[in-house]
Amino acid sequence: MARMHGLVTASALALAATIAPASAQDALHVAWYGGNWGDAFKSCVADPFTKATGVTVVPEVGTSTVTLAKLQQQKDAPTLDVAWMDGGVSELAEADGVLEPLTEAGVPNLANTLPQAIYKNDNGIYAVGTGYYSLGLTYNTKEIKEPPASWNDLWKPEYADAVTIPSPANSSGVPFLFFLHKILNAPAGDFAPVFARIKELKAALFFDSSGAASNAFQSGEVVIGAHFNVGAFDLMAKGLPIGFTVPKEGVWATDARLHLVKNAPHKEMAQKFIDTALTPEASKCLAEKLFLGPSVKGVTVSAETARKLPWGEKGSVDNLYLLNWTEVNAKRAELVDTWNREIAHK
Amino acid sequence: MAASRTALALLLFAPLAFFAAFFLAPMAVVAISSVTTDGDTLTFAHYARILLDEYHWDVLWVTFRIALMTTLICMLVGFPLAWYLVRIVRWRTWRRICVILVIVPLFTSNIVRSFGWMVLLGRTGLVNQALMTLGLTERPIRFLGTETGILIGLVYILVPFVVLAVGNALATIDNSYEEASADLGVGPARTFWFVTLPLCLPGAVSGAIIVFALAVSAYVTPALLSGGQITVFSMLIFQQYSSVFDFHYGAALSITLLVLTLVLVGIAGRIGDAGRRAA
Repeated sequence: MARMHGLVTASALALAATIAPASAQDALHVAWYGGNWGDAFKSCVADPFTKATGVTVVPEVGTSTVTLAKLQQQKDAPTLDVAWMDGGVSELAEADGVLEPLTEAGVPNLANTLPQAIYKNDNGIYAVGTGYYSLGLTYNTKEIKEPPASWNDLWKPEYADAVTIPSPANSSGVPFLFFLHKILNAPAGDFAPVFARIKELKAALFFDSSGAASNAFQSGEVVIGAHFNVGAFDLMAKGLPIGFTVPKEGVWATDARLHLVKNAPHKEMAQKFIDTALTPEASKCLAEKLFLGPSVKGVTVSAETARKLPWGEKGSVDNLYLLNWTEVNAKRAELVDTWNREIAHK
Repeated sequence: MAASRTALALLLFAPLAFFAAFFLAPMAVVAISSVTTDGDTLTFAHYARILLDEYHWDVLWVTFRIALMTTLICMLVGFPLAWYLVRIVRWRTWRRICVILVIVPLFTSNIVRSFGWMVLLGRTGLVNQALMTLGLTERPIRFLGTETGILIGLVYILVPFVVLAVGNALATIDNSYEEASADLGVGPARTFWFVTLPLCLPGAVSGAIIVFALAVSAYVTPALLSGGQITVFSMLIFQQYSSVFDFHYGAALSITLLVLTLVLVGIAGRIGDAGRRAA
């Protein structure tokens, strides 16, 4: 009888395993961002993945830095399998040794990904971009009829006290200083001209969160400034008189990248998940939901979406100013300190 | 006896374990990382970097100045409000409504309320519109990005703590003290000054300490209302954790603020004690 009982239990378990291979223990744990980003990652990548494989995806919501902190803490026994992190944090994660290299054998769709979106070093490919977003020139179309042609317009006297650029507390703050450094043709490694120029700027605010920038544009406190394409088109979708343009100097951009966690509990499935994110369907879906510039080759989007991509209507990834993050990270502490003393100090 | 002692130990265990896990342990992590480097060697370099630099003292002064002003204004606004609620309102329903009105904002997140102030205090916001319509000013007054703006936001958020603390103290004062004072021929003003005020001083001091501690450590309100143009200490801490990733320096900044705040709160507590003894 006991043996019989054991047999029944075993077959019941086996049956349960075939019907529901994704019990909580077998679920794939994926770290991604909150809000509409997480929603889009779910419907564009996780849902198709679950449909194809039957594996449930458990999201771990957090910003890139929070995810990095989690990965550092669980270095010895990771529970996360896959992690989305932004450019910049991605390099820090690789330097901390918490990432596993990606291979074309495990993730075949790497072959269809833009070469710019594949990040490798001596260890191999440590990250792959799933879409670009940019910090472009955003303006109030009621106050400014013609799209501004240059970033220099921020310093025009008529916009005094109604301008915004990111503060270093925002993830785009330090990169934006590098961008200004480039368009001002400042001597290599010397940021004094950049800070001198920012001192001349009559800013309403230096935003530390993307929400604060949206709020300022919405209330009319700010009529021109730098803002993420994702945030700007969100405001437009709500019917606000906001325009977004890529000026002649170009725009600074970065991307949301996927990473395979070192010693991930479900490595095989994790690779499959990343592969799903690199399909043209997923990439197109992210472009439509978050206006992320596709990192997958040959993705075509509707004319309406094309207008909202980070590189502007007719641009491509070549119009984006993508940073060497190792360089940025090396100068980060120094630039934040200088900003505090020179700009945010009276 | 033994049984009751075991029961006591069991009862104490839960809060102590909670306190250790969610307060002491994280605190210890921060304290340790403030005196170590990435290589886990002991160093006080982070503290030296903070304390030997005039810039940090400048920011500390701004932070404490804003917190002190917030506390002062909260007391000036909160005390009469508490007096009104406890001593003047006779109709119970109205008192309940007032108490609810004081408390309800505490249920909304600071972020939402600070965003609200950003809209109200903006160049084209309601406050400036009203001031210009009334002819009090010709051009919009700049509130955002100034200490005034931060003060308005903090006072609004922290006033309820004073109302509750002082109101509670006022409500527990036995009326017979004041009646006795009046019987002995002392006028209402002197009775207030020498009898009522000292009696509710402990409540007022605890309210002030809560407000001060919350104002010193406030991040969201100053960050949003300063428009990134004024730096308070909590913003320096946030920067180190969120964008520079120097957790050691960030931890040292946190401990510095904590210790200095504790010292000031300790001094305030002494003043409260002295006041009570004098009474």
